[in-house]
Amino acid sequence: MDYSRAELAERLAADYVTGTLRGPARRRFEALLPAHPRLRDAVRRWQQRLMPLTAAIPPQRPSPAVWQRIEARIGGAPAAAARRAGWWARLDFWRGLTALATVAAISLAVLLASPPPAQAPIVVVLNAAPPAGAPEGTVTPASFVASISGDGRAVVTRPIVNVSLEANRALELWSVPAAGAPRSLGLISAAGATVVRRDKVLDGTAALAVSLEPPGGSPTGAPTGPILFVGRLTS
Amino acid sequence: MPAADPTAWTDRSRELSQLLARAGLGDRAAFATLYERTHTHLFAVILRIHRDRAQAEDVLQEVYVNVWRSAQSFDAAQSQPLTWLTSVARNRAIDSLRRTQTQPQLESAHRGDEGEEENVIDQVADETAGPLELLNRAAEARALARCMQGLSATQRQSVALAFFDGLSHAEVATQMHQPLGTVKSWVRRALLSLRSCLDGAVQRDAAGSET
Repeated sequence: MDYSRAELAERLAADYVTGTLRGPARRRFEALLPAHPRLRDAVRRWQQRLMPLTAAIPPQRPSPAVWQRIEARIGGAPAAAARRAGWWARLDFWRGLTALATVAAISLAVLLASPPPAQAPIVVVLNAAPPAGAPEGTVTPASFVASISGDGRAVVTRPIVNVSLEANRALELWSVPAAGAPRSLGLISAAGATVVRRDKVLDGTAALAVSLEPPGGSPTGAPTGPILFVGRLTS
Repeated sequence: MPAADPTAWTDRSRELSQLLARAGLGDRAAFATLYERTHTHLFAVILRIHRDRAQAEDVLQEVYVNVWRSAQSFDAAQSQPLTWLTSVARNRAIDSLRRTQTQPQLESAHRGDEGEEENVIDQVADETAGPLELLNRAAEARALARCMQGLSATQRQSVALAFFDGLSHAEVATQMHQPLGTVKSWVRRALLSLRSCLDGAVQRDAAGSET
């Protein structure tokens, strides 16, 4: 590791999080973050150190009009009505998805532009999990495709059949090792593409699985609902 | 003074993580709850940097619209939700300062610039808690107390003005009647010694909880 550069990165991250990095320098630093994991880590550590200091500031209540303006900006419909419509049916969800797709495209561009030559992505097809007691080799429909970036830092999942999901359920993606406990990779959408960014998606991953979970994801850190879809990584 | 207890910071994590995850998937009700639970804290953080209430409310609005759009990028394995949210709020507040500060005058609430020569440390006591008082209050509850003792009074003052009130190095220098270079090195040394002290405390905590 280049020692002087590591030290400079650390100092810039500290200035950035404290707020004393200003103007064009601040903007340049922010522009570097997406492509520099070491810088991001340094920033995150400084945030962890300093943000709890703000717990000492007595809470302040803004005017209720602020929430009304936020609601109007994010799509307007009151929460209850929106829930009836189903979140996949709402325009702003798709707007959000478009934004995410843009982010994904940019992330991908960054991944591709990063110095270590990008390896080809790994595509995994997840089939519906065979029912209990089904004979070996039972063919089940393909339901999801997951594409893991070659460096193992991002997965994009996309349903290829209609996946119906009750409103109070969520789908969670897991990395399943050859032996040992599955590792959560995060919640994914049943209706469209989800970009999951994790540092080491590929580490020890023998298969990907999707389980049915309560809305915020598994509360225990291990799958609690049935496994709906499974796909092995073939190398 | 109903200041939030810093230990609640971690206790609230799990619930807020779930709300953020649901908001990331487009759950508006979860997002409304997230707003309810966190907005008075974020508004307080913004209001210290941006003393004008109307402007601070505009910043708050931008912050939550931004959170709604980027909730999916929140990674609970990497950060605590309140740390993430507070960082988003502070960044937005500092960025918008940049715009208003191209107009010449400083925020009216920055006091103590009339040439009085008394100890800079005395300048902070006021109708609202000063940044240094906040720093001391934050320090009471955490391992931070010990770490703060390692800082000189001037180091503490300079970090508090920069961090809580969003002052730049140059503004801290003006407020403390000190040369810019001196203030820069106070802030830098204060951050370095905070880092080594806090990281040491974290390692001790981790070692303690494993045994």
